[in-house]
Formats: sequence, structure tokens, C-alpha cells
Amino acid sequence: MLAVETRNLTKDYDIKKEGKRAHLRAVDGLDLAIEKSEIYSLLGPNGSGKTTTSRLLAGILRPSVGGARILGLDVVDDASQVRSIVGLLTETPALYERLTVRQNLTFIANLYDVPKEEIKPRIEELIDLFDLPEKIDLPAGSLSKGMRQKVAIARSMIHDPPVIFLDEPTASLAPESAKVVRDQILKLSKLEKRTFFLCTHNLFEAERLSTRVGIINHGKLISEGTPNQLRDLKKDETTTVFKFAVWNDVIKNFFQERNYDVLDINPERKSISIFIKEIEKETPTIIDELIKQNLPMFEVRHEYPTLERVYLELVMSENLPRNQEEEES
Amino acid sequence: MKWRRIWALVKKDLMEFTKSKYVLSAIIGIPLLFAVLIPVTTLLPIAKINPAEFEGDDTFPSFINNLFASSVDDWASLNMQAQTLIMMAYLMFVMVLMLPIIIPAVTASETIVGEKERKTMEAILASPITETEIVFAKIISSLIPSFFATFIAATGFTIITDILVYPFIGQILFPDFLSLIFVLVFGPMISIISVELMIMISTKVKSVRDSYQIGSLVVLPLIFLILAGMLSFFFNSIATLIGGVAVMVVIIVILFKLATNIFNREKAIIKMT
Repeated sequence: MLAVETRNLTKDYDIKKEGKRAHLRAVDGLDLAIEKSEIYSLLGPNGSGKTTTSRLLAGILRPSVGGARILGLDVVDDASQVRSIVGLLTETPALYERLTVRQNLTFIANLYDVPKEEIKPRIEELIDLFDLPEKIDLPAGSLSKGMRQKVAIARSMIHDPPVIFLDEPTASLAPESAKVVRDQILKLSKLEKRTFFLCTHNLFEAERLSTRVGIINHGKLISEGTPNQLRDLKKDETTTVFKFAVWNDVIKNFFQERNYDVLDINPERKSISIFIKEIEKETPTIIDELIKQNLPMFEVRHEYPTLERVYLELVMSENLPRNQEEEES
Repeated sequence: MKWRRIWALVKKDLMEFTKSKYVLSAIIGIPLLFAVLIPVTTLLPIAKINPAEFEGDDTFPSFINNLFASSVDDWASLNMQAQTLIMMAYLMFVMVLMLPIIIPAVTASETIVGEKERKTMEAILASPITETEIVFAKIISSLIPSFFATFIAATGFTIITDILVYPFIGQILFPDFLSLIFVLVFGPMISIISVELMIMISTKVKSVRDSYQIGSLVVLPLIFLILAGMLSFFFNSIATLIGGVAVMVVIIVILFKLATNIFNREKAIIKMT
């Protein structure tokens, strides 16, 4: 059974545009199949439909067309059950500022029918997990933005859900706190077989955490795969950097005379970056020639396109006309 | 309906109220103001007037005499100053009964629109709690402060009024059957109607300010319900009062159905964003 499965998932909002009623298609025919214990990241620019997707999957919004299942439960027909087995960190992790961290967590635990005797140990477990023990009896309003975010993440897990949707989980966290959260996500996914669905702008995070990444734009899934598969989409844009012990013009001339596609020459770093079409075939040949010429090369490195580069190119080249808005006749 | 979820939401709201200076001052400050200021500014000046100024052949119109004779013992034998004090006391008591209308305007706005404004509502909507449970819990949590405030105000008003009026009539005026019925039955029912109306308004508007503004206009006509109830009691006694209560129960049930139909998870989320 899949953890998350969507078929042609579509969501339209009624909006007012220039005084007339219109439809805005926020999610457009999304097909996803996410296995249990996967960490799936949905990447996309602002307004691309990430938050609407997580709200649809969490059973808060109803799809306009298509459907979705969470661990076999339909998000419309079994909405209440879906809400009880998923955790949701919302885009704005608003806490009750006048209540303490403990009161915030206890309140949500009661809404999820967590057995009374389990609430206290569960809160303590989460507080330890996210490194918040000394903050537990402070009003949430007195916490820093990062601390509040951690409390909100703990809140989304208070009922021990098998599927967790996190919208920008590390957006306002300091690097060390972000690492704590990332480590916990990895741990919970690997050891406890929980499924995570992350909506994020943080490409570094998506690259490091995710088993698979989906890229969404204008509500449509434009690409999907493991981080490596996505990087491979731009494999032919890999650059090769040669570093030398001593720099001189002979090195520069070596590459220029052979008509290599030189991308960058950096005498200070004593390095040169070139673009090679067939890396596996051409790199050993160049190394051989450099050695024959007695040029003091001591490092060769391939710089593969990052997920960020792939993402930016995919999103920017996506030039779909925004024809989702249809004025009502 | 799961009572545990309802009670969790009610408890959370009440904790928030007790920690909000604004709500707390409305729940405690306004009742105290009504309890003290109203009798002191209206009854005390009448009590201080020289009794000689009330001497003469002047009487109230017969309909007023008939109105009070039916519910105040020995009305005809009381002098004009005592009758004026009693009449003013009852009129001012109506003011105290406005509290069950006013307080829910603050608490219901705070608890529904406030949650939307601060975006805390999304965590509730993401949980398995049903729309009916949310509305029911919000009604209870808005009502409790209203009951509390009305009780404080009515008790304070009763004590101060009796202190001022006793020397003139030789008996305590409040609590009488009428005031008890209004504080314990009519007041709470008016409060429930007010809360339900405020919740319906709160689900439609985006800011607490809009909720106050629209809410105060919508719930003010409820004062006529109190006046109508009081007058019907004076004129037609208990049968009419029971009929009035039955009508209010029907109104409460209809408004509850409407409020739960209007409150929609999806619309609440969309309005928040």
C-alpha cells in the first residue's frame, strides 16, 4: 500500500478578478505515488501549488477533480480518518502565544484523541527530540521564531502520525537547529518508517534529505525523480576543473590551442574550468597530454550540475501560458 | 460529537481569555461598571432628592401603575419617590441584561476571527475535530465568560440597588422572581443567541474589527427580546414567559444548525490565506 497516492489531483479556487468571478487552478492534474518511509520533497516557486497540495493531502481541502489516498484512505470519503493519521506543519506555524509550550502541545494532543496517559511522555519525548526541554513551561509568545518553528514541528507529530506533511520545516531555523530537524526527519524515516512530504524552497535540504523530489510549477508536476536522476537531466552541463601547482600561460595556451570550451580561468587559484561533451572519454586523454607536457596538474574535479541549477532551469524554462483562469460565462 | 475534543477547545479558549488583558477587562470591567455605575448614577440621585419634592397629587399613568402593581407588593401604598426608584431600578436592570448580548460580541469575535487572524485555526482544522464540534465548543467557550459576567453584574447591581432602595420600601427589591428568571433563564438564552449570531458573523469576516462592527449592529436588536420578555411577563405572567422561552429554544436550535452549516473547514482555510 502506498503512503500517498494521487490521481489527477486538481484544485480550483473561486477568485474575483477585475470585478468578475473566475477560477484559479492551484493544483493541476497531479499524479503522485509515494512509498512508505520515503522522504518526498515538493519543490516549486511561491504560488506554485505546494501548500494547496499538502492541504489537499491532509484532508483539509477537497479536490475539485481527481482524488488522493493516504495509506489507502480517501481524502474526501475518509477525511476525518486521514486527518487523524497525518501530521501537518502549516506554512505559518502559528502557536497560541499566551499558552505555554506544554499547553499548546496538550491541547493538540487532546484534539487528536491521544490517550491521556500517553500525552505527558509523548510531549517529553518530542521536547527532547527537538532540544526544547528548558522552554516547555514558557509562553510560546516568548520564544524565538526558530524555537516556535520547532514547537510547531513537534505539534505536528504529537499524535505519532505515520505520514507527515511539513511545509517549509526549516525556513526560520538557525543552521544548527535546522540540522537537528533534518537529522530527526532522517531518523524517523529510517528507523520508524514514517513517510515525510516536504514542501520547500530549500534545495540543499531537498537534495540531502529526499529519496525523491518533485518539481511543481503553475500547479503541474514538471519533473520528478531521485536527486541524482534530476541532476542527470543536466548531466551534459558538467564542468571539469583542472588545478595546477604553478600557474603560467603555457597552461592557458594548452587549453585554448586545443579549442576546449573554456568557462573560467583563475590564475589566483591556479585553475581552469572547461566544458567537455564526453567526460568519460575525453578527461583521461587531457590528463595524459598534460602529464606529457610536464604541466604541474595535481587535481581534476568534475562539477556536476546541482539540484538548484536543474530546478532553476526547469522552472525558468517552463513557459506555460497561465490559461488556468477561465472566466465564468 | 466527542466531548473530549470539545472540552479541549473550550479549556484552551478559556485559558486564552484569562491571559488576555483585553478580554479579561471586558469580562470583569464591564460587569463591574454596570453593577456599580448604573445604580449609582441613576438611583442615587433620585434617592437624594428631598422627599418633599415628590409630594402632591401627581401619579404615574394607569398603565404603569397596572404594570408594577402586578409584580411589586403594596405598589399602591408606596410613595411617589419609592415608586420612581422601583421603576428606575427595573429599567436599569434591563441594562444589566444587555451584558449577555455585549460580552459574546467580544469573546466570540476573539475566539473565531482571532484564531483566523493569528492563523492558529489551521492546526485545529487539520485535526480530526468536526465542524459541529468546533462550533459547539466555540459557543460554550464564548458563553461561559458571558454567564460569569452577567452573574457578577447582576449580583453587584442587586446589592447596590437594595442598599439604595430598601430605606424607601422597607423590603429588598432584588432578587425577585422576575430578576431570577431573567438572570438564570432569559439571560443565558439571549447569550446563546448572541453567541450563535456572532459565530455566524465571525465565519464570514476576516478581521476582529469587522466582526465587532458588524456584530454589534446585528446583536443589538436582541435587546428587544429582553424588553419583550419583560413586558410580556408584566402583562401576561408565567404562561407568556414559558411561551417566550419555547420560542427562544427554537431560535437557538435553528441558529445552531445555521452556524454549523455556515462554518466550513475549506472556506475557513481559504479565508485565512
